[in-house]
Amino acid sequence: MRDTTPRVGFVGPGLCIALLAMIAALLLMGAVPNTAHGQEPRLAGRLPEAAKAQVDLILDGARLSGLPVEPLVDRALEGVAKGALPALIVTAVARLRDELNVARTAFGAAASAGEITAGASALRAGAKAKDLAELRRLRSGQQLTVAVAVLADLVTAGVPADTATSAVLALAGEAADADYLTFRRSVQQDIAFGASPAAALGVRLRSLVATADNAPGGLQGSGRRKQKP
Amino acid sequence: MTDQDDPLIRIIAVLKEPVALAPDLTARVMAELERVPSPGPVAAPPPVAWWRRRWTIRVSPVGALAMAAGLVAVVVAGQRFGRRAETPSLGQTQFVLVARDAKAVALVGDFNDWSLSATPLERTDSDGVWWVTVPLVPGRYRYAYVVDGTMWRPDPQAPAAEDEFGRPNSVVTIGGT
Repeated sequence: MRDTTPRVGFVGPGLCIALLAMIAALLLMGAVPNTAHGQEPRLAGRLPEAAKAQVDLILDGARLSGLPVEPLVDRALEGVAKGALPALIVTAVARLRDELNVARTAFGAAASAGEITAGASALRAGAKAKDLAELRRLRSGQQLTVAVAVLADLVTAGVPADTATSAVLALAGEAADADYLTFRRSVQQDIAFGASPAAALGVRLRSLVATADNAPGGLQGSGRRKQKP
Repeated sequence: MTDQDDPLIRIIAVLKEPVALAPDLTARVMAELERVPSPGPVAAPPPVAWWRRRWTIRVSPVGALAMAAGLVAVVVAGQRFGRRAETPSLGQTQFVLVARDAKAVALVGDFNDWSLSATPLERTDSDGVWWVTVPLVPGRYRYAYVVDGTMWRPDPQAPAAEDEFGRPNSVVTIGGT
């Protein structure tokens, strides 16, 4: 005989199956990236196991801290491609992790991966964390990647870090990314023609500021430019 | 047995007879109603009762699986659209190296996992001009050329970049504004 008792609150096998299916699907979706997080697949077979385990630990720590992991993997892969000793690769990755952390602190938690990576390069070149924080303040609401990358490039090209930092900060209020790239290219051309890095930077900065003073739209008229190495 | 002997027929006959009511019945009923106190307006059920009421939901297994698939599809689509919104646009960047005596030139860098085989350059003519175009999002990338599989060379047209492994790097910065 069929049970006709009202089943208040009973949802039936269909909804139970639905719930189980949804839980399984969500667990599966969560499990895939977790597996990838534990072991960086691009390093498998390219680093000795001991060194790879150390690099994976650094990567896991970076993920937990919210740091971008891609530049760390790139640094390890660069070392592998260049035939560096595994211990040197681990040291380089750990050092970059520390620089990324300082850069992220300087820029704030909302900084993009590109900004943090460029900030780490600038720190490596000799910029100071407080200057990166000042640049963030001066260009609030704008991407910092190019400005910070230009700072790193200038210092790497031989411009004293303090001088390069002052120039990048001086342009921070008005310069677009394209202006920064033009500025860097001009300074490097002058250096290639024999000018001292500091003198080249000083001349080009004065020229750029004069242009900004005379142009009604400031420096921002340069627009996007196709970048060639 | 006749119809008069059937009990059902007799009951129906009795029920069909007219009922005689007392002449003062209506007056007595009305008087009684006036004597009983009024219960007042009917109170509405408290609103919380609706929230606590239990519902019965009936779903077939096929329908339930369809609902689950739909939910998963919405989640996956949301993730993909979210990623797309954050992805910067790609720009084509050209890399050029003059290497007259080279038999092969590869581009390695942060954009291709430093792979010696991922981005080979093409030779354009007998002058030894090698080139390749790579799509890159805005950012700062370190790179180098590898000539004939072993010789690492920086880009003479580009700024130098930091290196910790004893082989020179160059750097390219792609702007976004």
